Amino acid sequence: MTVELNQTFSLDPQVSLRPERFGALAYHFGNRKLSFLKHPDLVAVLEQFDGQRTLADALVLVGVDQDRWPSFLAALSTLETSEMIRAA
Amino acid sequence: MSITDDPIIATESSTDDLANDVASDTPAEAVLEELLVEEVSIDGMCGVY
Repeated sequence: MTVELNQTFSLDPQVSLRPERFGALAYHFGNRKLSFLKHPDLVAVLEQFDGQRTLADALVLVGVDQDRWPSFLAALSTLETSEMIRAA
Repeated sequence: MSITDDPIIATESSTDDLANDVASDTPAEAVLEELLVEEVSIDGMCGVY
């Protein structure tokens, strides 16, 4: 599963984010998966997901440099596969 | 123009530098992708849910 920059996303309602010094822990109460979000910028991007804002807009709003976008796309694809986020 | 004045020589040198830069950047980028998210399963752990 690969996310696209023009897609809109929302955090799954069964997911809880717990802030940590390294970023955050994401726990899915439905499938009991736990993900370590290992950079605060990734957490900030997730917090921008409202079902209307595109992924590209979220990355720009958070101030993620474009040369880092591929890494974020890979990480977000992983999170979509594990149902932490879902396309709106 | 002698061969030592040929600007292509300088271009080849720049290409080598670019190749070195790419080689040194690739591992760092790969590490960054690894670090952004890491998933674990807690199925089977007692007392956590």
